[in-house]
Amino acid sequence: MFSTMKKMALATAVAAAPLMMATGASAEGEKYILVSHAPDSDSWWNTIKNGIALAGEQMNVEVEYRNPPTGDLADMARIIEQAAASGPNGIITTLADFDVLSGPIRAAVDQGINVIIMNSGTPEQVREVGALMFVGQPEYDAGFAAGLRAKGDGVGSFVCVNHVISNTVVAERCRGFADGLGVDLGDQMIDSGQDPAEIKNRVTAYLTANPETDAILTLGPTSADPTLLAVEEMGIAGDIYFGTFDLGDEIVKGIKSGVINWGIDQQPFLQAYLPVVVLTNYDRYGVLPGNNINSGPGFVTKDALGKVEEFAGEYR
Amino acid sequence: MSEPIIQMKNIEKHFGSVIALAGVSVDVHAGECHCLLGDNGAGKSTFIKTMSGVHKPTAGEIYFEGQPMHFEDPRDAISAGIATVHQHLAMIPLMSVSRNFFMGNEPLKKIGPVNFFDHEKANQITMEEMRKMGINLRGPDQAVGTLSGGERQTVAIARAVHFGAKVLILDEPTSALGVRQTANVLATIDKVRKQGIAVVFITHNVRHAMAVGDQFTVLNRGKTLGTAVRGDISPEELQDMMAGGQELVQLEGSLGGTV
Amino acid sequence: MSDGNVTSGVDERIKEQSRLRTALIRPELGGICGTIIVFALFLLFAGDSGMFNSQGVLNWSTVSAQFMIIAVGACLLMIAGEFDLSVGSMIGFAGMMIAIFSVTLGWPVWQAIIVTFILSVAIGGLNGFIVVRTGLPSFIVTLAFLFILRGFTIFLPQLIERKTIIGGIRDAAEGDWLAVVFGGKVLTGLFSWLGEAGMIATFERGTKKGMPVVDGIPMLIVWAIVLVIFGHILLTRTQFGNWVFASGGDAESARNSGVPVNRVKILMFMFTAFCACVFATCQVMEFGSAGADRGLLKEFEAIIAVVIGGALLTGGYGSVIGAALGALIFGVVQQGLFFAGVESSLFRVFLGLILLAAVILNTYIRRMITGER
Repeated sequence: MFSTMKKMALATAVAAAPLMMATGASAEGEKYILVSHAPDSDSWWNTIKNGIALAGEQMNVEVEYRNPPTGDLADMARIIEQAAASGPNGIITTLADFDVLSGPIRAAVDQGINVIIMNSGTPEQVREVGALMFVGQPEYDAGFAAGLRAKGDGVGSFVCVNHVISNTVVAERCRGFADGLGVDLGDQMIDSGQDPAEIKNRVTAYLTANPETDAILTLGPTSADPTLLAVEEMGIAGDIYFGTFDLGDEIVKGIKSGVINWGIDQQPFLQAYLPVVVLTNYDRYGVLPGNNINSGPGFVTKDALGKVEEFAGEYR
Repeated sequence: MSEPIIQMKNIEKHFGSVIALAGVSVDVHAGECHCLLGDNGAGKSTFIKTMSGVHKPTAGEIYFEGQPMHFEDPRDAISAGIATVHQHLAMIPLMSVSRNFFMGNEPLKKIGPVNFFDHEKANQITMEEMRKMGINLRGPDQAVGTLSGGERQTVAIARAVHFGAKVLILDEPTSALGVRQTANVLATIDKVRKQGIAVVFITHNVRHAMAVGDQFTVLNRGKTLGTAVRGDISPEELQDMMAGGQELVQLEGSLGGTV
Repeated sequence: MSDGNVTSGVDERIKEQSRLRTALIRPELGGICGTIIVFALFLLFAGDSGMFNSQGVLNWSTVSAQFMIIAVGACLLMIAGEFDLSVGSMIGFAGMMIAIFSVTLGWPVWQAIIVTFILSVAIGGLNGFIVVRTGLPSFIVTLAFLFILRGFTIFLPQLIERKTIIGGIRDAAEGDWLAVVFGGKVLTGLFSWLGEAGMIATFERGTKKGMPVVDGIPMLIVWAIVLVIFGHILLTRTQFGNWVFASGGDAESARNSGVPVNRVKILMFMFTAFCACVFATCQVMEFGSAGADRGLLKEFEAIIAVVIGGALLTGGYGSVIGAALGALIFGVVQQGLFFAGVESSLFRVFLGLILLAAVILNTYIRRMITGER
């Protein structure tokens, strides 16, 4: 009886083996889980995955990356609860929606799990959920800084191409930019959707309908890449003022060729890498930096492209 | 002979310029099987659709139990007790026999304020009615899809009878069946007739008609060639009337009387 | 009715069937097998990962319960022969309506919930009415509503509040009698006793120190159980259930037998919308905010759960219990893979394999039941 059960267990194990590949290295001891809010399709988070993998390797700890497949924040809340239930030493997560995520995060904190908020969230919110610290780029401030810079370059009107209209935090970038310029955001933010062809066509349509637009602001590679094609097709590449958030292959090329004036790098690598390092050291030696860490904004222009180009899409 | 349960008098039906029925008269009696014969296009379908309330006759009168009837739609006919078992059987293969049997007329059992489907009663009645018709089900929850074509016909007939049909119109029930299944259906018709129900049996197979028929009406090109009583007519004569006469005589000769 | 009083003998063509076989061939079999296999696998691979402690169990039960709520509606609708692809959008829409009514317009939350329910069920009815009236495939009609509802869910909050997530519902719902029905917890006393007795995990620090991590069963799970029981009884024990089967099995035959097919179908569309609205309300009440991207792709998750549960895509066959088991499998696999430490992008691969296996098994079972070859 026992041996048959053992055989069956073995058989199932063999059958399931290809699916049961654990992500973490064979590290013993500490385990940290990063829960993001990004859907599977968002390639920007690849840098984050690489960042925690590298940190896990260097610190010799086990790391895991998890995300809601469709980007549904309610699903993300469940993943945080689940991550807490699996008993890790620490959780690194975002505060993409305070209302939805604060409950599960606070519960995890109260269970004795150390939490670091990355990428999205405000310092007040981070304090309120009881997280250790925040590693990321304050979005409104980054947008505001970019707006000031653009104003200095003589920009008076713009279009903000938002590919994640449902994410309030990202939309803050547009608000910050508008406030930095000193103009009203009004209808200058367009919902572009996620599909490259649609984005391109909507940008073209907007710029055709509003030819007096001075500048374009894209909020990430998803909207920047098709927008690049759109401006090239319309023959205004290099003529229209073009700024973008985040980096990617095409964006780097665009900066190099002068079509894009600057890219705002929030350095996602640091958002993933630093929390693992901080948490590990906190767990091992009880040391903790005394403040939040701003991973950005860093303006990337044509003059400083070397390293960026080398590691774009991987660590940059 | 008793009063006919349905009298169709000089029924005419025109579809635009086409005259589908040109004055057809038929009497149907309770407890008898009235066979309606005719080749394809003879007007059989139009005639039974008129009888079951689907079509309104262009001219002519229908008497049901001695009263003139004007059916507005098939529901009137059904509630009057005229049930039609179509070739398309109104059976759902994936559902059990008993669920099919009571489809639309489910027996109810009140538990508290809620009406529930009384499965026990439904199963019991189904098994009983099917046994009366000579079919032994594996169980009332057997799916209709597992029944043979003949058995399905029988379920449909049993259902119509159970829900109080006085006149049962069977539209070519044997046309797609094998020998054995045909025999079963014919036996069912016989049983139904003996319960005092009038059966209108549409077929173009003379031998099937001769097996159970009490009266025979032949339709040809929208007209009757008269009604014959059992024993007054031979199969050969019927066959001739259906085909409209001459040419089949020669054909039949060469085929040795097997048609 | 026993076999003993069969007088005219047994038909020799009916093959003897063993009791076991008879017991096995039912629509739920695929779901039952799947549930056993899934639990066996995860006990083996994730037994000590926290998946089966109080918190872990609550986690996958809650996720499964979510799927169950929408699967019940989708299951009954599918048995009635129709699809609803607008379920996911309806979840987003209903949640957003509650948020707009209660936060933006400042209505009492119970009023917002009731009006949203009426609105959602009416839209479900409209879906059904269009399908029944035009004879168009429900696939197309509800696909249209998938976009229409999602569009409004993004447009309305942007128009009114200039943002796509409306929060603050939890504050508005404070002390509301109806909000508790969706967002509250039951058996809290039992759980705090269990926590005190040291049988389940308690918080180690913070304001809730010493209280159990799992402090009750969320109403979401209660709703799921109630809806599953209701759906199961409706389908198998009532006249209406018979009509649902008949409408999906063959609408024409059902009509000929006097079944009000159109009414059945429209009512099922409304019920599906109702379930989506329950889902949305529970979610909004638990998380305190409504987002424009809530419920994305949930319609397919509901359909997958229903199909794993043994329902036939073409209608007329299926089981609510099966759909509930399908939802349970879905939830356990989705959360369990995380516990087992499997790379999360493999979740879809796993799900696809389960779906395929379930459908193959179910097709086989159905052939046994109906005798088709």
